[in-house]
Amino acid sequence: MKKLLFVVLALLVCTGVAFAQAGVKKKRPLPYEYGRVVINNYSEGAGLAPVVFDHWLHRGLYTCRLCHVDIGFAMKAGGTSIKAADNIAGYYCGACHNGKMVFAGKPVFASCAPKKFTGDEATRCERCHSLGLNPPRDYDFARFTDGFPRGRFGNNVDWEKAEEDGLIKLTDYIEGISIKRPTLTIQNDFNLSPKVEGMPDIIFSHKKHTIWNGCEVCHPEIFIGIKKGNTKYTMQDIFDGRYCGVCHGVVAFPLLDCQRCHSRPVQ
Amino acid sequence: MRTKLKPLIFVAVALIAFSAPTFLPVAACAAQAVEAAPQSDWQAEFDDICSKTQDAMAMGVDELKAVLDRCDKLKVKIEALEGTQRKVYLRRLEMCRGVFAFALESKEKK
Repeated sequence: MKKLLFVVLALLVCTGVAFAQAGVKKKRPLPYEYGRVVINNYSEGAGLAPVVFDHWLHRGLYTCRLCHVDIGFAMKAGGTSIKAADNIAGYYCGACHNGKMVFAGKPVFASCAPKKFTGDEATRCERCHSLGLNPPRDYDFARFTDGFPRGRFGNNVDWEKAEEDGLIKLTDYIEGISIKRPTLTIQNDFNLSPKVEGMPDIIFSHKKHTIWNGCEVCHPEIFIGIKKGNTKYTMQDIFDGRYCGVCHGVVAFPLLDCQRCHSRPVQ
Repeated sequence: MRTKLKPLIFVAVALIAFSAPTFLPVAACAAQAVEAAPQSDWQAEFDDICSKTQDAMAMGVDELKAVLDRCDKLKVKIEALEGTQRKVYLRRLEMCRGVFAFALESKEKK
């Protein structure tokens, strides 16, 4: 009996170790790190540090659509393959970071320049090419988000409520880049029933999503299926960064915040 | 008086004649800039098409087919552009077209 117990215990320990080795424990990012994107398509090759892009600052000022539709940034980090020449020509980062656009009473710094800066001027490159350099920044996360409604995870900010309450005013149009569009007709909200019994239904709000994204960000690239329920996906797909997981878990509130989607009480 | 003015007029005419070769290209450039200021055909077409994505779900099947056809014709023009402009606008057009195709599929499956 003792031998059997020993064998069972040994097996349990071994499988535990095996599973622990196979799994990858992800470090949960700090609030100011959540949504951070590191871009290194060409930076290191050009002798510069990779670019660090903080979503919290940009998402607090602009809609997702402005950057991902009107300016044309891909939804995946590094997917756009931005070159300095693109920025200099006024595309991508250079659409706003051109030294001419005025924001909050001062010009937005130019993102790239045709010549390589040296000396004091080099600090300008480091404003974006900053991985491992930690340069001084104009905006401080704690100050910027001070007074915003708190969220439980991610940036610890409830961005949706901050927008609803008028604490952030999202810019959705840049002259010369964006297209003047009529007001969007809001599509109906709908509920999705999970397969797990006892799990609350998901209430999907088109209204909440279209304020930030318009139509093009999600359809058809992320959600291909036309009819509700046609696109079959699991929580694992979402955790792997597909479907809702393209944004939720990366920039929008993370998947740990179950009740924000699974919000209809079980009948 | 007239005799005094004559050299002055001569100097003025000479100055104009000498400076003309310098100013003419500048004037020509300015004229070109004025010509380039209005939106190019493809850009106006792009703006017109992509401003309609908001209404895609309210459009009829024929309307959607027509706008998809316009997208395909415009794609050929954008493909002829160069560099980043080509890259950016092809991506943007692809996103617009995607919404219309999505809406059309939705209507046809109903």
